[in-house]
Amino acid sequence: MLPFPKFSYEAPGTLDELFTLASVSGSRIVAGGTDLLPSLKHRLFQDTLLISLRRLRELRGVTIEGGALVIGANTTLRDVARDDRVAAGWPALRDACRTIATSTIQAMGTLGGNVMLDTRCLYYNQPDGWRASIGGCLKADGSVCHVAPNGAGCYAAHSADTVPALWLYGAILRFGSERGIREVALADLYGTDGRTWLGNARDEVLLAIVVPKAPAGSVVHRKLRARGAIDYGMLLTAVHRRPDGSGAAVVSALGPRPVFVEAERVEDLAAAAHKAATPMRTHAYGVGWRKHMVRVEVERALAGS
Amino acid sequence: MPTEITLRLQINGEQVRRIIPANRSLLDFIREDLRLTGSKHGCDVGDCGACTVLVDGAPQLACITLAAECEGAAIRTIEGVTDGGGLHPIQEALHRHVGAQCGYCTPGIVMAMTSLLEADPHPSDSAINEALGSNICRCTGYTKILAAVREVARPGSPS
Repeated sequence: MLPFPKFSYEAPGTLDELFTLASVSGSRIVAGGTDLLPSLKHRLFQDTLLISLRRLRELRGVTIEGGALVIGANTTLRDVARDDRVAAGWPALRDACRTIATSTIQAMGTLGGNVMLDTRCLYYNQPDGWRASIGGCLKADGSVCHVAPNGAGCYAAHSADTVPALWLYGAILRFGSERGIREVALADLYGTDGRTWLGNARDEVLLAIVVPKAPAGSVVHRKLRARGAIDYGMLLTAVHRRPDGSGAAVVSALGPRPVFVEAERVEDLAAAAHKAATPMRTHAYGVGWRKHMVRVEVERALAGS
Repeated sequence: MPTEITLRLQINGEQVRRIIPANRSLLDFIREDLRLTGSKHGCDVGDCGACTVLVDGAPQLACITLAAECEGAAIRTIEGVTDGGGLHPIQEALHRHVGAQCGYCTPGIVMAMTSLLEADPHPSDSAINEALGSNICRCTGYTKILAAVREVARPGSPS
């Protein structure tokens, strides 16, 4: 049995209360909790205050504002995937939501939670006793990265299924804090170290994901995983085939920051992605094979576009 | 900051009010505080589906749900899957097809399939497969479970 650590719990009823609580040191937002709560059981976080979004109705639901999709951060993945407007205008986002874990987890987890998902690694996402047996890792409890012992940082992999598609759709993230509202391009949020991969300030709470009217052409999402359910991705791929013959791709689960590449001719996109991708030993699958599969997954995604 | 909360919710139609620690999981609340032990403790981290219950009609993994998050919710467990003492059609079909062997995953599967069939009484095979993907069974190989669910979803058609 894996008990939760001790923590206190608040469910604020207004955004002002939410921002005040989020400024408390040691606090963390629960938006679904399907990754956070197992991680707390594994003692990956030492938070002492969990802040629930459940009473804030304004953070749940899908609306259209001036042609853009505005999705409250606490909207479940299932509600996003079942929304007819999402399916019609941003089908790759629907497809990405439907590949996450299992249908039960899609009914619990949220889009905001997915965008802010912790980075993952074979040596990090383990119970505390397992981690203690190898002296911990750079991201938790230890000082050595077992993926790259001579490397400069933490390479834990960005694993948020919806992010490659949201990136190519040009999504904007709306954060709130006691200092006001701030919007950040999703493409600018993620950093290159797996410990500090989120660029928002600690007290800034993700309120909504704003997805502009989909660009011309077609965006397609693919997920490579061992089983048809439950698993996090070995590779997450989204491609954009543009009407002028060019293309763009975002490939993730390679490191803390998703990899973005463009090609003037869409035929060159798979080679460009393959060249840019440097899989690390963050997964239980060979890095040579995963690098090869970057090319294959981009080609498969383009074939479906 | 409160480390204890007063929780009010409905469980199998009955109103319940308890003071609980903030870090109580819904599964521990159901099994330890309410002594409803039909929901099973499997992987404890949201992978296996043995603890699946319905929260306001939607399937949820009770082991990775905070009881505190269920304030005001209506929860249904395997004990409340039917109103009276009889079996749910899914339970009857699982029994007929020998869709339960060790039985540990069965309550979670019954709840997940109940949620599926309440939303869509005649789901396609791919919808059934997708929903069953939430629940791990290490005994049956799923064939008999699928046959049971198909029989309930499409009575009279070959399974």
